[in-house]
Amino acid sequence: MNQGIPLLPDFMARIIEKWASKRLPETKNNITLVRQRIYILPTRHGIGFLIILMFILAGSINYENSSGYMLTFLLTGIGFLGMIHTHQNLNHLKLNSVTTKPVFAGQIARFNVQLSGKNNKQHFNIKFQTVNSDPVSATISNDQPASVIEIPQLTKKRGVCKLGCIKAFTEFPLGLFHAWSWIELDAQCLVYPAPEAHPPAYNFSNLKASGKPSQLTGNDDFAGIRDYQKGDSSSMLAWKAIARSGILQSKLFYSESGNEIWLRWDDLPVNMHTEQRLSILCRWVIECHNKGIIYGLDIPDKKILPASGLLHQNNTLKALALYGLNQR
Amino acid sequence: MIRSISLHKQAEFWVLLPLFLVILPHFPRLPSWIIFLLPVFFAWRLLAIKNNRLLPARWLVACIAFLSLAGILLYYGTIFGRTAGTSLLCILLSIKLLESKKQRDYMLLIALAAFIIVTNFLFSQNIPTVIYMLLMVTLITMSLISINLDTTYIPVKKRLKMSASLVAQALPLMIILFLLFPRIPGSLWKLPDDKNSAVTGLSGIMSPGKISNLMQSDAVAFRVKFEHQIPEQNNLYWRGLILWRFDGETWIEGKQNKNTQAEIETISNKTEYSVTLEPHNRKWLFALDMPSQHPDSIIYNNNYLLRAKKDIASIYQYSIQSYLNYRIGHNLSEWEKKTGLKLPPNSNKKSIQLGIKWKNDLNTPEEIVKHALRYFNNENFFYTLEPPLTPGFDPVDQFLFETRKGFCEHYASSFTLLMRAAGIPARVVIGYQGGTINPYNNYLTVRQNDAHAWSEVWLENRGWVRIDPTAAVAPERVESNLNAALNPDESRPFYMHLNSGFLKQIGFYWDAIDNSWKQWIIAYDSTKQHRLLSYFTNKKINYYDIIIALFISLSVVAFITSLFIMKPLRFSKEDNAQKLYIKFCKKMARRGLIKKTYEGPVDFSQRAVEKYPEDKSTIDFFIRLYINTRYRSRQNKEQINKMKKLIKNL
Repeated sequence: MNQGIPLLPDFMARIIEKWASKRLPETKNNITLVRQRIYILPTRHGIGFLIILMFILAGSINYENSSGYMLTFLLTGIGFLGMIHTHQNLNHLKLNSVTTKPVFAGQIARFNVQLSGKNNKQHFNIKFQTVNSDPVSATISNDQPASVIEIPQLTKKRGVCKLGCIKAFTEFPLGLFHAWSWIELDAQCLVYPAPEAHPPAYNFSNLKASGKPSQLTGNDDFAGIRDYQKGDSSSMLAWKAIARSGILQSKLFYSESGNEIWLRWDDLPVNMHTEQRLSILCRWVIECHNKGIIYGLDIPDKKILPASGLLHQNNTLKALALYGLNQR
Repeated sequence: MIRSISLHKQAEFWVLLPLFLVILPHFPRLPSWIIFLLPVFFAWRLLAIKNNRLLPARWLVACIAFLSLAGILLYYGTIFGRTAGTSLLCILLSIKLLESKKQRDYMLLIALAAFIIVTNFLFSQNIPTVIYMLLMVTLITMSLISINLDTTYIPVKKRLKMSASLVAQALPLMIILFLLFPRIPGSLWKLPDDKNSAVTGLSGIMSPGKISNLMQSDAVAFRVKFEHQIPEQNNLYWRGLILWRFDGETWIEGKQNKNTQAEIETISNKTEYSVTLEPHNRKWLFALDMPSQHPDSIIYNNNYLLRAKKDIASIYQYSIQSYLNYRIGHNLSEWEKKTGLKLPPNSNKKSIQLGIKWKNDLNTPEEIVKHALRYFNNENFFYTLEPPLTPGFDPVDQFLFETRKGFCEHYASSFTLLMRAAGIPARVVIGYQGGTINPYNNYLTVRQNDAHAWSEVWLENRGWVRIDPTAAVAPERVESNLNAALNPDESRPFYMHLNSGFLKQIGFYWDAIDNSWKQWIIAYDSTKQHRLLSYFTNKKINYYDIIIALFISLSVVAFITSLFIMKPLRFSKEDNAQKLYIKFCKKMARRGLIKKTYEGPVDFSQRAVEKYPEDKSTIDFFIRLYINTRYRSRQNKEQINKMKKLIKNL
């Protein structure tokens, strides 16, 4: 949770963060920011503004200048209301975590969060930040009542990567106050093992038959749906799916060629480290998929029957990603 | 990390604009080289918005800053004081522009702009200035909003609306703070001398041309509220200064007499009034001839003149009392006799000869005075604002025997000299004469063009007596005003042309507004604050009460304003249609048809029509109107009203 709080020394920021972490809302996949969990402090500019107000006030007192008093007090009022507006800019913001595409370990997971305002409220220049990333900003106005932001997070190891605690903050409208809230959204990203860069060549001896490699985009049996790629013919477009999601998608078919292989845990040397094993298997899966080979996976606690297609690949990779982890 | 984000280009322009506009009113006060440089720097920065590389290098900026500082020092001899300080602030701000790229720099510039607004108030606190500056605060707020937005484009109009509403919401807080923030009388530190500033008003000396310059100005000198009746115009002699010393050309105050006590014998025509004096950077206070009572904060000197304890740098109010019939200076002191008879050596010999001749020809001082006034009246003297120049060492001789065209200062000067030559102690008084009564508020407004000079002579048994030689030449000047006294053919100052009919009424109206502004807002101080609070509480107020009152009302107003911001009315105007639609859904629900969450208005209405075919036309029409207003943004009152009717009919 260490994203820093303006103006406070680190040790105080840590105390506040610890206190705030006890007050974190329940982890849900949609959260509306509420007053109780929005914190606010002046920024450096806010302190500067205050000092300038003092100077103007002193000048007005000294010169007994009524207009000077008026200006001081008008600016005081604007500064004070700026604080309320900054707070309100964050208040009632609705966050909704949307599905996140799986990534390979070492890649950046992009958590999609949909933002909207309660009762069409507007929110300007709200920034989101995770522990080690640059802030992402978003604005929700009448012209653009909802927006989806991508919160990037670098993944390190396979498994499930959680978004964790993010800090939503804003200094709008005047930049004199910094309002923030810590949010724990229930957003997960599946992280596949990193594919081994130099895998041992697969022993294709246990390939059943040596026919021509199957054509994934054959027209025989329906195999699944994937995102539209350049070159897909219009007859392959999955219109129903497009209508549902709004994204161009293509239907996949494969022809039964009968050449299936098993990717086995035990094919790899016994003394090999688990993670390396998984990485190699991962690479094999990708290669098989790319070559259109029908493949099955056999790892200690899971066996996936040979098949092909995107769905099959995803299932296999998921099995590899979650191997040995308690999956809830 | 966030603070170093450079600004998007559209925000930059909106910061530059208000910065330039707050400096603009200072232009007439700045030295010409700064007036030249400021637009250059602004234009430079404006060009650099498109191409950041056009900005000067750091060392160059430093050089410019150093040279400008040196320039200010050379020009003013100081960097302190009102004008020098303001010039410095303006030039530094425009130099800072040249190296501003980041949000941080712009925040600093905006803070400087707030300072420049205050410096404007040191020069003028008139209504137009304050309104202009209020607009500037709105613009500055908008530039703050602009630089705190992300790259999403928000139209200027919308940003302006945001800042205007922020300023409007801050106004109640400002009013409370203005009224109740405890005012401290007096200054915190000594005000630096400001010799460079020019204020229209009397100067402490009288030489040919000094006062007639003032006639060109219709600026307000002071305003007077009389408790009872306003005295006759020809009794309105506002004494300001007494000039004792004459060197043949110029009258000055000179060393003042310190020994005598002011003793006034009041006779009749008591007048009570309060004066609101415009700042003139002097200690002089003006009072009707002759003040008798005065508050403790004012010094009453032995020439029967009122003086403030420090220079009047901001609007100043005092209440005093005068007697129009009085007797002063019953006993003439040695000093007064000596100084009041002193003649300038080696100049104006012909005039002095004339005075001596009168002394020899006539019996009593009273006769001499009457004779002198007759002399001005009968001889060929003219009252004019454009007298011929009288160069040389004997201006009085030239005036009396050659030009004979002049103005109050010529008459006062020559009359006083003649009296002294004739052995009558005499002195010159300068101040104002007359004033205009504003029918809207019954205040008497005295303007710079009411400036006047007259004489006082000392007569046995009568003391110091006011004699106005101008009245002998141009009685209209004293009974009416300057305009009436001038020859119809003479060219007049510009303001006099505006002084007729409809424009005159507008002038009075504006003057009344301006007066209320000055009385209630500009002159609002701790006394008025105490008076205001005692008016509401009916008891004597101390600082403790003020702080409590401030605290309570501030909390209340802040709370209400915050509530207003936090719970904005759920449906703004454009959402009237939505409100009606919800009403429609509720009505349907009562009849047993509940809208499903996924259902849009069209689907829902179809279902409704199926269920209640008898209402088909109403429902269809309503939904069409709803879709039109809400989704095609065709909003008008008529449609909303139609929808309301339809709903009732359901």
